[in-house]
Amino acid sequence: MSTPVSSPARPGPPPTALRGERRVPRVFYLMVLPALALFAVFHTVPLLTGMFFSLTNYAGYGEWSFVGLRNYANLFGDDRIYGAYGFTFLFAIVSTVAVNIIALAVAIALNGRIRFKTGFRGIFFIPNILSILIVGYVFNYLFSNSVPAIAEALGVTSLTTSILASPDTAWIGVVILSVWQAAAFNIIIYLAGLQTIPGELYEAASLDGASPWKQFTSITFPMIGAFFTINMVLSLKNFLQVFDQIISLTAGGPGTSTESISLLIYRGGFQGGEYGYQTANAVLYLFVIIAISFIQLRILQRREASF
Amino acid sequence: MKQPHGRARRAVRCAAGAAALALVLPGCAAQDDVVTLDFFQFKPEAVANFSAIIDEFEAANPGIRVVQNHVPDADTAIRTLLVKDKTPDVLTLNGNGRYGDLAKACVFADLSDLPVVEQVRPAVSDIIRDLGSCGDEVNAVPFSSNASGILYNRDLFEQYGVEVPTTWDELLDAARTFEAAGVTPFYTTIKDAWTVGPAFVNLGGALQPEGFFDRLRAQGPDVQSGEVSFSKDYPEAMEKLTALYAFGQDDAAGRDYNAGNAAFATGESAMYLQGSYAIPAIRAVDPDVNIGSFPYPATNSPEDTVVVSGVDVGVSIGRDTDHPAEARRFVEFLMSPEVVERYAQEQSAFSPLATGAETTDPALAGLAPYFDDNRIIGFIDHQLPASLPLPQYLQELVLGGRTEDFLATLDREWSKIAARTIPNEKD
Repeated sequence: MSTPVSSPARPGPPPTALRGERRVPRVFYLMVLPALALFAVFHTVPLLTGMFFSLTNYAGYGEWSFVGLRNYANLFGDDRIYGAYGFTFLFAIVSTVAVNIIALAVAIALNGRIRFKTGFRGIFFIPNILSILIVGYVFNYLFSNSVPAIAEALGVTSLTTSILASPDTAWIGVVILSVWQAAAFNIIIYLAGLQTIPGELYEAASLDGASPWKQFTSITFPMIGAFFTINMVLSLKNFLQVFDQIISLTAGGPGTSTESISLLIYRGGFQGGEYGYQTANAVLYLFVIIAISFIQLRILQRREASF
Repeated sequence: MKQPHGRARRAVRCAAGAAALALVLPGCAAQDDVVTLDFFQFKPEAVANFSAIIDEFEAANPGIRVVQNHVPDADTAIRTLLVKDKTPDVLTLNGNGRYGDLAKACVFADLSDLPVVEQVRPAVSDIIRDLGSCGDEVNAVPFSSNASGILYNRDLFEQYGVEVPTTWDELLDAARTFEAAGVTPFYTTIKDAWTVGPAFVNLGGALQPEGFFDRLRAQGPDVQSGEVSFSKDYPEAMEKLTALYAFGQDDAAGRDYNAGNAAFATGESAMYLQGSYAIPAIRAVDPDVNIGSFPYPATNSPEDTVVVSGVDVGVSIGRDTDHPAEARRFVEFLMSPEVVERYAQEQSAFSPLATGAETTDPALAGLAPYFDDNRIIGFIDHQLPASLPLPQYLQELVLGGRTEDFLATLDREWSKIAARTIPNEKD
């Protein structure tokens, strides 16, 4: 999503304006250069190195040799990888939907005329600045000890064992933590979006007798379309890369029921001595995420209101 | 990384070091002949023990300074150090399958000429050699051994008149007696997947056919139609494992290792399926708990009973260390009988030295005779590739999975890993 820097409205020095009309001054390139160099050294070079190692049998140490595309071929016969993809997509889709509904609702409430508005906005942003690992261990304690104790006191038998202890329900715990943590950032984006809507639209709508729900579906939601798009794309991408939440809550368990793709790559690549093989998995996953984000952007941008 | 030799650079280094850490100051006082050894120590619960050992060593060897580094996840940390070519001078590692992988990759020095190698019990030497090494070298000397068995609460056994079981049927009878009396027979901690492993290695190790893993490896990826496989040779062990776990307490799925140690220490269960390494943690909760131990009676013939023992701490030297002579001197000091014995006592471990004194800890008394008679076998899970998530599969099984599914999964994973592991061409 880059905007080309060819704005003709640039207030350049008048004498050279004619010559500089089409060409971008060199100083702009110089300003980009440091960031580009850092990006290349710390991001692109490691990425390419990783891609290279996906073509080897490197264990992470010691000798290695070139094996061509055999790692990639083996990926497609590995049901453990299919299991990880299944879990990750289920988790990411459920969390993306949940986090956007919750964040939009909270943002609309925080944008209304309520008392202590600024204070509440600050409070709702706190989860974003907390480390996921720390919050994760707190939630782990809550799910394993507090919730069962409360459920036992209230006589709710279905919740007396920790939801993290069952392979069928552990993923819900991961969703709850992730949504709680991710909602903060999405609320901020939605709040920014809500403030761009001119107040006159609502005045006109209420004069015409539109209900609050009608106002939401016909004014609010279409007007923040761009913000909805960016929130959907970013949250899906972030949830597809889920790692910290799982490490702190379930460590991929019980069994392998909450093993996400990132966790599988880490486990197999760094702990299991299959660095080359899991790097191939990572490269493949990179392209999957790029493709999904691209498709998502195309679909969502098409339905944004233009104004 | 080479040490800088110039005086100026050393001064800069000292200044920087002093600014960062006041502790470094004494080492900067123009002692050009002081050699600093980087000592990677993997066991978080033994940091204080090793600090004391290092103090003694430094007092006896003024020319050598040893810096102990300890990290939370040592197996991963050592791999990242190796990737960066920063192999520590001296390191301790748990003698597990990952150690074997590293040794086979020839990252550790050959220690076969150290005199202490001859003093190690032959059965313990076999265990560490079976994990793998660089050719015929000796890449680690065992510093302390552990033993896996069943821990029991002597007071509860006495109170309910239960004898220490020596056969499988007696073990089940004991468990039923406690269950009938309202005492949890085994406190199980399924939330930590690895805690199911000890039962697996004991029952599997005792019941599997001779040379199971060597034959399995020889078959390559073709496990399904081969003559040995988990599905063919492991059903008995897994039936027995699930039978023991059926005696666990109700909330087992939500309890972890720490909770288990605390519960066993406070007498919540009669038995506990953990090894000698759990004893210090249990005593940390209640120093006076009356712990006993016995090996898994995997069959009804007591003469076949063996104890599973691993090298809890093995000592290695980095292959390309800049200070081989000093590193060896430190390893020799570590392996001196006094140091090994004292550590074994402090950590409730077994001395791997043949000359070792009797184990006096009452909690180990039930396992020690097997150790002295060399009736010990290694941890079989060290024979599985690290990329096979055995603890996770075991956790699924004891949470209510089917034995056949578990064994079929092991066969399938083994075969997939064998198929995709592409060996390097031999030079």
